[in-house]
Amino acid sequence: MTPEQIVEATLFASQAPLTAGELARADESLTLEDVQEAIQSLRESYDEADRAFQVYQLGDGYQILTRPEYAPYLERFDSIPRSPVLSHAALETLAIIAYRQPLGRIEIEDIRGVGSASVLRTLQDWELVEVVGRGEGLGRPLLYGTTRRFLEHFGLKGLMELPRPEDLPVALQSVEAQAGDSPEEDESVEEAGETG
Amino acid sequence: MVELDRFQGPLDLLLHLIRVQDIDIFDIPIARITQQFQAVLDAGLERMDLDRAGEFLELVATLVRIKAQLLLPRHGDTEWAEDPRAELVRRLLEYELFQEVAHILSNAEADRSRHFEKGYVEPRPVPVAARDELDLSMEEFLAIALRLPEPVPVRPHIAPVQLVTVEDKMTLIRERLSGIRRFEFRKLFSSWKARTHVVTSLLAALELARQQVIRLEQVKRFGPIWLFARNGDGEDKESQ
Repeated sequence: MTPEQIVEATLFASQAPLTAGELARADESLTLEDVQEAIQSLRESYDEADRAFQVYQLGDGYQILTRPEYAPYLERFDSIPRSPVLSHAALETLAIIAYRQPLGRIEIEDIRGVGSASVLRTLQDWELVEVVGRGEGLGRPLLYGTTRRFLEHFGLKGLMELPRPEDLPVALQSVEAQAGDSPEEDESVEEAGETG
Repeated sequence: MVELDRFQGPLDLLLHLIRVQDIDIFDIPIARITQQFQAVLDAGLERMDLDRAGEFLELVATLVRIKAQLLLPRHGDTEWAEDPRAELVRRLLEYELFQEVAHILSNAEADRSRHFEKGYVEPRPVPVAARDELDLSMEEFLAIALRLPEPVPVRPHIAPVQLVTVEDKMTLIRERLSGIRRFEFRKLFSSWKARTHVVTSLLAALELARQQVIRLEQVKRFGPIWLFARNGDGEDKESQ
């Protein structure tokens, strides 16, 4: 049996993304490099054979997902609950957390200009954000950050996939450099499939 | 008229007013914008909850303060103070940035939702109703509809519920006690399972006790309750 076949069997049987490390646990002989190579060659063979699915990277995990062009057929089956479509308030809050993490509720509310306690609670319930620490200020406020689930929900490999603020089509010339050091540089795994 | 409900908050509304009028964000006409902002707010304020209203009003206060600072003469020609609008502009730009990111996230979410993982599709019966549209003219449809037999009228099904009244139970107690001096409360309903019999029996016993027709006695807690017949003087009847 080749590493490729072992990785394929494991990915096939899993319902959630698996990291390279998790995949390597399938056999003692497997190294992380073997897993990466196996994923790469699986991806190539699925492309060549024009399969309806592909190995996609979500966060630092890998998962076999159908290709987007099959969505119209699959959407006729609605028996499994879909992941939630987030409200604008939730997206706005997530955007702020993704770029400025770790940060507290007060800072989020300053930027949004509206109370954000309940939207934060919802995002925590959905495990899209989590408490990552406590701030220095008065009352040592809770600081929030995005989760692995956040990357999975948006089909991102890492935060580095989000555009840099200066690349966004808004008039930002005057905004202080503070915005420039996010999103975090993330040196996670190299490329494997686009999800979007 | 701009509907207030459409906006996430005051910054969203302000940004909207600036965008639709193609205003230079670095040179916001504060008086005009404040007026427009206030007009939108007045129209929708009543329907807003207090917290949300407060958030909008806070921004109005900020706008008014900026206007006041703009009107004040600046001292010292050499040292130009910062434009009072600068902080607001910074907040607006920052907010606009995150609106843009929110938009990007929304697109990413939509893209991701077009990929399906294992387990998404479950075996399920074919839906009965056809999805296809009916390919019939109104005349054809009527012709078919008129050929259909009249629907059989549905008769409401009446469940045989026997009404038990307190009066019935009072009569029953009187009858029972006409021949004997006392009997146990439980005997009144032991032959019926329904709870209504217990409840109506209890109410009947209490009512008769109130009218001093009977006397209730329970020697110890949760012990048997006895119903005693009484004569007109309020004394227990002698057994015959």
